[in-house]
Amino acid sequence: MAAPGRHVGHYIQRNSRLLLNNFEQLWSPRNFGWTSALRQQAAEANKEPPDTIVIPRKKTWSKEAVLEALSSTVGRDPTAYPYNFQDDPFLSPRTMNEFKMYSLSQESGKSAAKFFINNNPKYFTRDFAEPHIPCLMPETVSLLLEDVSEEALKERINLRKVTAAVEMYDQLLQSGTTISMETTYDLLDLICLYCDRDPVEEGGAQTEEMEEPGEEVRRGRGKVRWASDFVKFSWKENNNAERIFNLLPERDTRCYSALIRGMVKHGAHAKAFSMYTDLLNNRLTADVHIFNALVTAAPDVRDKYNERWDLIAELLSQMNQQKVQPNLSTFNSVLKALRRCGSLAKTQAIHTLNEMKAMGIAPSLASYDHILNAFSKAASSSGAVNTDILQEVMSELEGKSFTCQDPDDVLFFSTAMRICLNNKDLELGYRVYNLVEHGENWRLLGAFYHQGIFYRRFFNLLCMMEHIDVVLTWYRKLVPSLYYPNHQGLKDLLQALDTDGRLDLLPTIWKDIRALGHDNKSELVEELLMLMARDKHSAEVQEAFAACALDIKSVSEGDMRKNTMEWSTSSLSNITSLLLRADKTQAAWETLKLFKSKNRVPEEPLLEDFLSVCCSDGSPQRAVMLVQLSAAFCLSATPKLAKRTLAEFNLTEKQRAVLSELECTGESSG
Amino acid sequence: MYRFLFRTVYTARKSSACVYEACVLPAKCDKAAVFRFANGGGLKALSTSSVSLCEKKDNVASSTEDEKTVAEKEVDPTETPTLVTQKAEDDSTVMKMEEQREEEPMVLKTGDESTTQQEDVKIEQVEATPPEVNTVEAKSGKDSLLDILGGMKVDVTSKRKLRSLKPRQSHDSTHQSKPAAMESTISMFQKATEEASSQSETLDPQLVAAASAAASTLPDSIQAESDLLRQLRQHKAVSEAQKKGDMNNLGDIIAHMKVGKNPDRRLSTRPANQIQFDDDGPGYTHDRGINTELYSARRKKIYMSGKRLNIFSSTTDEDGVESTVARPTLWDVELANELSLSSKQTHRNGLEEMIEWTKEGRMWQYPVNNEVGLEEEASVPFHEHIFLEKHLQEGFPRQGPVRHFMELVLAGLSKNPYLTVQQKREHISWFRDYFHQKEDVLKEADVYLN
Repeated sequence: MAAPGRHVGHYIQRNSRLLLNNFEQLWSPRNFGWTSALRQQAAEANKEPPDTIVIPRKKTWSKEAVLEALSSTVGRDPTAYPYNFQDDPFLSPRTMNEFKMYSLSQESGKSAAKFFINNNPKYFTRDFAEPHIPCLMPETVSLLLEDVSEEALKERINLRKVTAAVEMYDQLLQSGTTISMETTYDLLDLICLYCDRDPVEEGGAQTEEMEEPGEEVRRGRGKVRWASDFVKFSWKENNNAERIFNLLPERDTRCYSALIRGMVKHGAHAKAFSMYTDLLNNRLTADVHIFNALVTAAPDVRDKYNERWDLIAELLSQMNQQKVQPNLSTFNSVLKALRRCGSLAKTQAIHTLNEMKAMGIAPSLASYDHILNAFSKAASSSGAVNTDILQEVMSELEGKSFTCQDPDDVLFFSTAMRICLNNKDLELGYRVYNLVEHGENWRLLGAFYHQGIFYRRFFNLLCMMEHIDVVLTWYRKLVPSLYYPNHQGLKDLLQALDTDGRLDLLPTIWKDIRALGHDNKSELVEELLMLMARDKHSAEVQEAFAACALDIKSVSEGDMRKNTMEWSTSSLSNITSLLLRADKTQAAWETLKLFKSKNRVPEEPLLEDFLSVCCSDGSPQRAVMLVQLSAAFCLSATPKLAKRTLAEFNLTEKQRAVLSELECTGESSG
Repeated sequence: MYRFLFRTVYTARKSSACVYEACVLPAKCDKAAVFRFANGGGLKALSTSSVSLCEKKDNVASSTEDEKTVAEKEVDPTETPTLVTQKAEDDSTVMKMEEQREEEPMVLKTGDESTTQQEDVKIEQVEATPPEVNTVEAKSGKDSLLDILGGMKVDVTSKRKLRSLKPRQSHDSTHQSKPAAMESTISMFQKATEEASSQSETLDPQLVAAASAAASTLPDSIQAESDLLRQLRQHKAVSEAQKKGDMNNLGDIIAHMKVGKNPDRRLSTRPANQIQFDDDGPGYTHDRGINTELYSARRKKIYMSGKRLNIFSSTTDEDGVESTVARPTLWDVELANELSLSSKQTHRNGLEEMIEWTKEGRMWQYPVNNEVGLEEEASVPFHEHIFLEKHLQEGFPRQGPVRHFMELVLAGLSKNPYLTVQQKREHISWFRDYFHQKEDVLKEADVYLN
C-alpha cells in the first residue's frame, strides 16, 4: 500500500528541481510586467533592517461599523422620495411645502408621544426589553425632591426649571445654608442661558426636535428653532442672574463668564463690556468664553468700522496678555464680526485666517463662509464679484471631510454656490458640488431650507450654463429626491430647453410640473404653452403637444378644490392653435368656446388659422359657426372672415344668407 | 514653419492671444543684435503679425530684404524676441513691410520710429539678425527696444481687452539648451516639422544668397556668412533628426509647455512674465478647464498666504490641559446640541435609520467581532475559564476517587463556554459542600483520602 505513495514522493523529490525551474519560468514573464521602479522599491525594502517588527494595533470597531459599511454601499436613491416618507405612500411629498408639512408632522407626532410618556410615567412601567433599553422608558421630567436642600436645587437645575431653581436658591439662602460654588455656577449658567425664563418646553433643548404643534405655523423655516428660540428675550436690568451675582460673597471668573455670555446672548452688549471692565477692576483674568462673547458683541457697541476693528484687535491683544488661548470659536467670532466691518473685512479676514493657521487651529467651514461673505460683500459694492477667493478656498478644502464644529458651518455650501451662480462659473460649481458629495460632507448642508437653497442655486447654474442633456441628467438625479424646484426653477429649465432646441421634451416636463404641484402657476403654464405653440414641429411632436395642451386644459378645468389658474388670452389661443396643428378640430372648437365663458377675446390670426383648417377639413358648417362666433365677439375681422368663407366653401343658401348678412353688418359697423 | 507653429500654439492655447518665440544667439555671435521692426500698417494689422510672417515668406521672391529676413529668421537660432499678436480676424490683411534696417547704427532710430508708431497701435514684429556686432550701441538699442516693447504691449492690451501680449526675453546664458528646446517645440507638430524640414532640407540657393547678402552688410562679411551658413546646415540637420526620431517626446513637451499668466496685465512689462517652453517646474495655463490644479496652485499665492495678525504668540499647552479637566458646562451641552441639530439630516436609507437606532440603544447590535454578547464576561480573562484547578486546593482530598472525579468535572467545566466563571465556581463549591457532607460515608468506605 505504501509503496506507490513512496514512489510518488520519490518522483516528486527527484523532479523538484525541474518543477521549480518551471515555476520560475512561469513567474518570470509576470515579473517582467512590473516596472523597474517597483523592483527598486522592493530591493530597498529588503535592505531595511529586519529587526523592527511593527505589531499592528488591535483594530477596534464601533458597534455601528457593519451598518455604516452597508449604508455606504446603498447611499441615496435618486429615483425615490426621501426615505422617511417611504413607510406611507400617502405621505409622499410632492412639493417643498408638503415635504415641510409631512416631516414636521412626523416629528411632532413623535414629540407628542414622548411628551405623553414622560408626563405619565405611571402608565408606562412595563419593561418588555431584555436587556433593558433606557431610551424606551419614560424620562423623569417632574420634580421628585420636595424638601429644601442643595440636592433639590441641583435637580431643578438639571431639569432646567429656571424659576423653580431660583426660588429654591432663595429659600436655601434664607435658611442660611451655604451652597457650593459648583451649584452656584450651574445656577448662573442656567439663568443666563435662558435669560431668567423657563425654556419653552420641558426638556427644552435637551430633546431633539421637540416641536409643539402650535409652533409649526409660526416657524416657516424648518428646524431653525435654536436660532430664534432664545434671542427673542432681552436681558433685563437686575434680573435674577444679576441679583444672585450681586449677592455672592466672592465672584470669580466663572461667574463673570456666565453673566457676560448671557448678556451677549440676549442683546445687552454694552452691559457685557461694563461687566468686563468690572472684572478687570477686580484683578481677575477673563476666560476664553468671555472673550468670544465680547468679540461677538464688539460690532454692536461701536459705530464706525475701524473703531469696531480696533476694539476687536484690542480684545485679542488683551487675550494674549492674559495668556488665554483662543479657540476655533474665537476666530469664527472675529470673522463673523468682521463681516460687519465694511471695507476692513477683506484684508483683516485674511490676516485672521492666517493667524488661525499659525496658531494651529484648523478653520471650520464657518470660517470660510465668513470670509466668502466678507469678500462678496466688498465686491458687490464695487460691482464685479470675482471667484478668486472661492477658487482659493476650494483648492484648500477639496478632498477633505468635515464635521460640524460651528453652528454656522452649514451656511458655507449655499454661500459658495451663490458665488458660483453670481459668476456663472460652472466649473467651480461642480467643484463645490463634489465637495458636498465627498464623504459625509452632505450632512453639513444644513436644514432642509438651506439644502433647498443650495440645490436651487446649483440647478439654476446648470440651467444657465450647461448643455441640456447634462441638465436633464442632473434634473433626474436631483428632482424630487433632493430638490423640489419652485416655479422659477422650472422656468429656468424651460428656458434651457428652449435654448438648446429640445422643445420636444416639454410634455414630460409638464408631467413633472403637475407632479410638483405647479400646474396652477399661470406664469409657468403660460410660458410652457407659449414655447409649445411658438414653432411648428413634426407631426408626432405636435401630437404630443396637443395631448399635453388638452391635459393642461383639463387640469385647470377639472380641479375645483384648488385655486384654479386664471386663463389668459394668449394661453387659450396657444392651446387652440396647438390643437389645430394636431388636427383636433373638435377639441379646438371646444377651447374656442372657452374664450366666451372666460371673458376673453380671441385674436384674428387664430380665427384665420381656424378657418384654414376648416377649409382643409371641408366643414362649411363649422366655418359658418366660426364666423358667427367672431361676430359675437364683435371682431373687426368678421367681414373678412365671412368673405373668405363665402369664397372658399360650398355653402347652402341658408348659410350664405347668414354670412352675407354678417359681412354687411360688419362692414357697416366697421 | 513659424506660421504653423504659431497657429498650432494658438489653437492649443486659445486664451493666450500672443506667443513670443525666442531664438537664441549662436555661441559665437555676441549678444548684440539688431532689431528690425516690421511695422505693419493698416487698421487690422495688430492682429495679424503671424500673417505678416507668412506674407514675408510668400513674398520671398519679391523682395530681397524680405527674403533675407525670412532666411535669417528660419535659419538662425538667434536671440530673437519674436513678438506676435495672434488673431486671425483678417488673414488677408496686407502687411506692408517697412524698409528694413539692418545696420546697427540704425537700431536706435528704428526704436524711435516704433515708439512714434506705437500711438496708433499696430503690429509689432521684432526680429533679430545675428550679425557679429559687438558694439555697445546695439546692446543699448536692444534694451531700449525691450522697454519700448513693454510700453507697446501695455498700449495694446489696454485696447484689446482679451488679448494680451507677453514679452519674451530669452536669456543669453542658455545658449545650448534653448535651441534644443526650441527645436523640440517645433517638432511637436508634424506639420510644422514637415514644413520646416522641407524648407531647410535643401539649402536653397536663394537662402544662401540671402545669407551672404545679410552678411555683406556686416563688417566682417566672410566670417558672418560662414556662420550663417553653418547655422543653416545645423538647423537642417537638427530638424531632420527630429523629423525621424523625436516625435515620441512630443507628449512630454506638450505636457511641459507653460503659458505664463500675469495676474495684473499692467505689470506685465516685466520680462518675468513670459511664455516659457522649458521643462522644469510646474507650469501655468490660462485655461482653467485644462489645468485646474495648477491654476489654483498659482492662485493660492495671492490671498491665502501672507501676513497674519501677529497678536498671539505661539501655543502654550498649559491652558488647554486645564480646560479639558473642567466638566462640561450647560453652555457646552447647549453648543453640542446645537451642532448636532444643525448637522442632523434625514436618513438616506434604512441602514442609516438602523445606525441611529443602534446609537440610541434600541436595536440589537450587529457583531463586529467574535466577542459579541460578552458584556458581563468582557473583563474576565480566558484563563479564569480554563484553569480551574486552583479551586480544588481547598476542601477536596489530594488524591483518590473524589479527586479524580473532580478533575473530570473541571475538565468538563473548562470546555464549557456557556457558563460564566462565577457559575463555574458555584458549581465546584456545590461539589465541595456535597463531598463535605458525605465525608463520613466516604471515610467509612476508605475512599476519601486527605
